[in-house]
Amino acid sequence: MSASAVFILDVKGKPLISRNYKGDVAMSKIEHFMPLLVQREEEGALAPLLSHGQVHFLWIKHSNLYLVATTSKNANASLVYSFLYKTIEVFCEYFKELEEESIRDNFVIVYELLDELMDFGFPQTTDSKILQEYITQQSNKLETGKSRVPPTVTNAVSWRSEGIKYKKDEVFIDVIESVNLLVNANGSVLLSEIVGTIKLKVFLSGMPELRLGLNDRVLFELTGRSKNKSVELEDVKFHQCVRLSRFDNDRTISFIPPDGDFELMSYRLSTQVKPLIWIESVIEKFSHSRVEIMVKAKGQFKKQSVANGVEISVPVPSDADSPRFKTSVGSAKYVPERNVVIWSIKSFPGGKEYLMRAHFGLPSVEKEEVEGRPPIGVKFEIPYFTVSGIQVRYMKIIEKSGYQALPWVRYITQSGDYQLRTS
Amino acid sequence: MPYLGSEDVVKELKKALCNPHIQADRLRYRNVIQRVIRYMTQGLDMSGVFMEMVKASATVDIVQKKLVYLYMCTYAPLKPDLALLAINTLCKDCSDPNPMVRGLALRSMCSLRMPGVQEYIQQPILNGLRDKASYVRRVAVLGCAKMHNLHGDSEVDGALVNELYSLLRDQDPIVVVNCLRSLEEILKQEGGVVINKPIAHHLLNRMSKLDQWGQAEVLNFLLRYQPRSEEELFDILNLLDSFLKSSSPGVVMGATKLFLILAKMFPHVQTDVLVRVKGPLLAACSSESRELCFVALCHVRQILHSLPGHFSSHYKKFFCSYSEPHYIKLQKVEVLCELVNDENVQQVLEELRGYCTDVSADFAQAAIFAIGGIARTYTDQCVQILTELLGLRQEHITTVVVQTFRDLVWLCPQCTEAVCQALPGCEENIQDSEGKQALIWLLGVHGERIPNAPYVLEDFVENVKSETFPAVKMELLTALLRLFLSRPAECQDMLGRLLYYCIERPVNSWASDFNTLVPVYGKAHWATISKCQGAERCDPELPKTSSFAASGPLIPEENKERVQELPDSGALMLVPNRQLTADYFEKTWLSLKVAHQQVLPWRGEFHPDTLQMALQVVNIQTIAMSRAGSRPWKAYLSAQDDTGCLFLTELLLEPGNSEMQISVKQNEARTETLNSFISVLETVIGTIEEIKS
Repeated sequence: MSASAVFILDVKGKPLISRNYKGDVAMSKIEHFMPLLVQREEEGALAPLLSHGQVHFLWIKHSNLYLVATTSKNANASLVYSFLYKTIEVFCEYFKELEEESIRDNFVIVYELLDELMDFGFPQTTDSKILQEYITQQSNKLETGKSRVPPTVTNAVSWRSEGIKYKKDEVFIDVIESVNLLVNANGSVLLSEIVGTIKLKVFLSGMPELRLGLNDRVLFELTGRSKNKSVELEDVKFHQCVRLSRFDNDRTISFIPPDGDFELMSYRLSTQVKPLIWIESVIEKFSHSRVEIMVKAKGQFKKQSVANGVEISVPVPSDADSPRFKTSVGSAKYVPERNVVIWSIKSFPGGKEYLMRAHFGLPSVEKEEVEGRPPIGVKFEIPYFTVSGIQVRYMKIIEKSGYQALPWVRYITQSGDYQLRTS
Repeated sequence: MPYLGSEDVVKELKKALCNPHIQADRLRYRNVIQRVIRYMTQGLDMSGVFMEMVKASATVDIVQKKLVYLYMCTYAPLKPDLALLAINTLCKDCSDPNPMVRGLALRSMCSLRMPGVQEYIQQPILNGLRDKASYVRRVAVLGCAKMHNLHGDSEVDGALVNELYSLLRDQDPIVVVNCLRSLEEILKQEGGVVINKPIAHHLLNRMSKLDQWGQAEVLNFLLRYQPRSEEELFDILNLLDSFLKSSSPGVVMGATKLFLILAKMFPHVQTDVLVRVKGPLLAACSSESRELCFVALCHVRQILHSLPGHFSSHYKKFFCSYSEPHYIKLQKVEVLCELVNDENVQQVLEELRGYCTDVSADFAQAAIFAIGGIARTYTDQCVQILTELLGLRQEHITTVVVQTFRDLVWLCPQCTEAVCQALPGCEENIQDSEGKQALIWLLGVHGERIPNAPYVLEDFVENVKSETFPAVKMELLTALLRLFLSRPAECQDMLGRLLYYCIERPVNSWASDFNTLVPVYGKAHWATISKCQGAERCDPELPKTSSFAASGPLIPEENKERVQELPDSGALMLVPNRQLTADYFEKTWLSLKVAHQQVLPWRGEFHPDTLQMALQVVNIQTIAMSRAGSRPWKAYLSAQDDTGCLFLTELLLEPGNSEMQISVKQNEARTETLNSFISVLETVIGTIEEIKS
């Protein structure tokens, strides 16, 4: 790992915050960063890793900020990027929005956090829940001498403090599946995958021991149950709290959860499924006069389910004008700053088919630069439904005080990167 | 905030920090300190208040302490003598009952980075290593490495190293990992920390307790451990298998590397290992973070280099999405190019072909080169696609396609026929040096199969003078010579011309221009001036009327009459065909003073030829003239009346100016003829202006 220093720069490359961890790279080297970035961008050779002589800059951009780590060693790249993302995550939990303004307003806390996040170029405590216990936002509150080390800093379970108490012990489980789809201009599906996550919202007292049961195919095979209603999960990833050895042995997902919100696990399914919302489009461009767009959307899911908040964005040329729409359902709106027409349908039942027509004028003088061919994008949400058919069979909660806790489960399928190319 | 010089700010802050009223009010005191830090961050030199800040460190307010210590770490190298004063407070804080304060003080003290601090920090570090709070132990462990760095690679303290090795058994996971990091730094000279069997097994057992950073770090250290037996190897692989499923990409990559390295020693498990790491790598390639995705793609490429086809069945994962940044798209194209096989070649090529017409020229070119790469194996399909691309007649596409062809016929001679058929017509869409070179090379080497090859080359020979790239000329010479050998009849003449051009132009061609106007004007500029001169020289031979007739459509009838009347209108009588040489003109021009200067309105573009023609009509000769459209535009004119009085004129159009500046010189000072001459000139220019509008 070993980052030598971490910088937070504004859009122009001026350092807002800098923290020198190791002292083996001169802090003034950061002045080379912006010119280098601009130069590479002009050459069309921009990459997340830039180097100037012996110094390597690993950078990411977040809103109007650049986070840059410098190193002169052959560092582990993915670890440095992960650390920078973690830093953003921690800052976001403190300031809600991370941008130049919030950095300027909270620079004392930023320094405090940077001090705890990393020492001598090595990440230390990066869990924001634990950091929040001893670096508080109300910096005006004077805690004279009585500031204590939270037990978690030294705890064996580093992600949960002891002595948490709730009046009502509850767990909310959200099973969310995002559908990523890429369809070629001729209508053939290039890529279709489902990325699932199970998110937990934990309001439990003490140090509870949780066990989650899913209709996992491997588990069903192990226990000799019928495979009918089981799902084959690929590429399963767990939060740190899950005992991986137990999962490997008998596919049991057992853990002591952190307090509050967290992502318990993620999985992937690359089995081909029918695209949930299928789009057929005809975009006819008559140079110098007009563009005519016809879009047909079809819900290819169960009739009982309903997709909510459907938004279909169709690209139009940037010099188009005087829009006219006709839709069989929902409403269409021209968003000139993004060069798209957005067709919104509040509720879209399965099996239904809708139509939109749009008409745009084009200027008689064609503009010089060529435009790309942006794809049609679709956003939607289908509640009470998972594409994979995954189910939470049980959630056992055991705590030594023996309280009864209620688990609540919610299923939702939503669009991820859902794109249909246009010709 | 009003602008203040840094001295004023320092003075003001110094006063505030010393003010006992502010010191008594904790919140105000802290606010002043915050301002100091703010200015420090903005890059103002705040070292002037060092004394006052040291005093401010003696406080119970931990936030204030943090700020002051941050300040000290920044400025200690600048003010080492003053920083020593702070050591006292720091040492005291190192034995504070609050572990947070102890840790903070120790961390700051180790980060002071100034000479002479070592002797003060040694004892606090040793105490820190045995502190009951793990927070302090973490700091102390890394402090050992900092202290070692301060010493500057001096001898290694054996006792300290032993202490650190024993702390590897600490119950706090971060202390354990920090120990490894610290030992690594201290033992750098001796090859880093030694991982023996007990340490390796201890670390393996602690893995699940570590956070993601620790896990990745430990995985990296475990690379040094060589399992003694195959059984042990499999135990390790089984134990670490779950880390391939970690949600942290860093850990996944670390585990992947360990698997690959361990498998290197036992070749027969290698395939199994590669199969196991495939999933995690693919997942990382579609990670939400672009940077991590980029890193993963780079690693996939690395694997593909030695194992082409390893990811072939997953080729669709590497299709580009519209909104992805450039660097990811380029990586994906490279990957696609490497994993092509019989089953997916059709789909991959179809996808790549879509990219070839992308708006971004760089991306389009990368895609074309990728197709060229695939063409080495799947020649026919690729050459067909490339040929179709030529039909788009886009410069940036044609040039790359031709370059791809050049490389291809070299590697796959069987496609020569197809390439030769595709080439005719390309020359119209190539402007850049690389593309021209490729085309000329192809025409030279395979010219006998391309019917119009000599004629395309002839065009290049014709324009060789204006060719700016020496490499293109070289290529042309070689290619033409080659083609001459196979098609002598068609090439002999132009080869002769080209050789003549090449030989006759001495290397130091500038020597002939030395000490002339050329270096003053700049070469290109002079070339245009002298070109006009050449044209001028033949003009007088033409009968006046015929030259006028040629300009008929340019000067309408009514104007013609006016123009023709002009010479009689005044006492001025300009003599026709009074031709001055450029040298003579130059000499005279330089020797005379400007007799008259005037500015006429002038708008927009015009044809210098028209002007020249019109001036010719009234017996004013053009000596030299800039090319049409160049800015500034200049023309030099001369005329002589019947008494032998010379009128030399300069016309000047400045860029962006809508006026024409006229300067006239006369060899005999005669105001009335000068005035008549100017009115003639005015009329002509006015007429041209009218024709234009």
